[in-house]
Amino acid sequence: MDQLDDLLAEFFNPAVAPAGLAARMARGRRDVTPAADVERFHIEANDRGVERLTYGPGGDVATRGGRRHIARARAELREYLAGRRTFFSVPVDLGGIGDFQARVLAEAARIPYGTTASYAELARTIGHPRASRAVGNALGANPVPLVIPCHRVIRGDGTWGHYAFGGTMKTALLRLEQDTPALVGCSTTRIVCRRGCAHEQRMREDRRVVFASVADAKSVGYRPCRVCQR
Amino acid sequence: MDDKAFADLAEQYGRRLYAVAFRLLGNRADAEDAVQRTLLKSFVARESYSPAWAVSTWLYRILSNVCIDELRRRRPTTDVADAGVSTPSSAAAISAKVDVTRALAVVPREARVLLALHYVDGLSHRELATIRGISVNTVKSQLARGKAILRARLERGPHGSARRPAR
Repeated sequence: MDQLDDLLAEFFNPAVAPAGLAARMARGRRDVTPAADVERFHIEANDRGVERLTYGPGGDVATRGGRRHIARARAELREYLAGRRTFFSVPVDLGGIGDFQARVLAEAARIPYGTTASYAELARTIGHPRASRAVGNALGANPVPLVIPCHRVIRGDGTWGHYAFGGTMKTALLRLEQDTPALVGCSTTRIVCRRGCAHEQRMREDRRVVFASVADAKSVGYRPCRVCQR
Repeated sequence: MDDKAFADLAEQYGRRLYAVAFRLLGNRADAEDAVQRTLLKSFVARESYSPAWAVSTWLYRILSNVCIDELRRRRPTTDVADAGVSTPSSAAAISAKVDVTRALAVVPREARVLLALHYVDGLSHRELATIRGISVNTVKSQLARGKAILRARLERGPHGSARRPAR
């Protein structure tokens, strides 16, 4: 033991736990409720991919070649809402939207799972720092919410702002993402996958190790999955 | 969920889990939330528990997973001045804790988690390897690297100029 060991032992002393912790843990238990019923989502798709995603009354609309996209989108939605998937791989067809909206949606799609960005930040990223309101309008007209995660964009003051499927759904989705890890490694294969990858879904529960980044995983001997991180 | 089983887990392991979470996450609310989520996840996944593991090892695996994912969501920041200064009794103790907190902030995440687990509960290298799903040699190298960074940072002083011993 050197001086640094003594200092760290003192620093990490478990005596810092506040009084009544156990009772508070038991009292404040959160019930896990699903963010939404997957059967209430309606999907429109053509041969190239999913065109539109809506919630509420209605039905699926698909061309002959679009049915496979609907099946895949629904399966991915089901996994996403159950906290077993953090990304969508179903093709999306955004034909017909303007250049500005396409750039906004492309930036929104890059916001990492479980994190948020503000309208102003997104406006700055696309090179129009004064266009926060226009960014909001572009996101409000997002034809495929969830698949393009416009729910991860919030106001600069931390409040939610408008959401196509309602504030309650936005809260539920953001809470779901808080509880779901994005990168999971397997302690036997030493391979790290994105949550939702076919290999990740086959991992045994007791072999799951969460990482904050691929670089962190590499630093302790893991390698990225060749399927989900090509 | 069985309330008594949950309360027993919280009573028995809550303090140690909290100490790790508090030092990793830097504030009381996030630490309590992490402990609560750990206990809930352990309860939900109780069928995957293997008796070959100590209960604490299993809980630390879940806790480290929860804390690391929380750290992932945070934006990079160097401001840790408010972290970890809730209990010391003297100005010198406060200063030391702030120094360690600041120094820890520059230690890579994986090494930081291993340091916390190692010093809160005195876990062995083998237990740390099981908890993080890595080899014992990687545990040793990560701990050595983390301590080397800490030592260098503490000797350099808070502003990177005045040299002072690592207490």
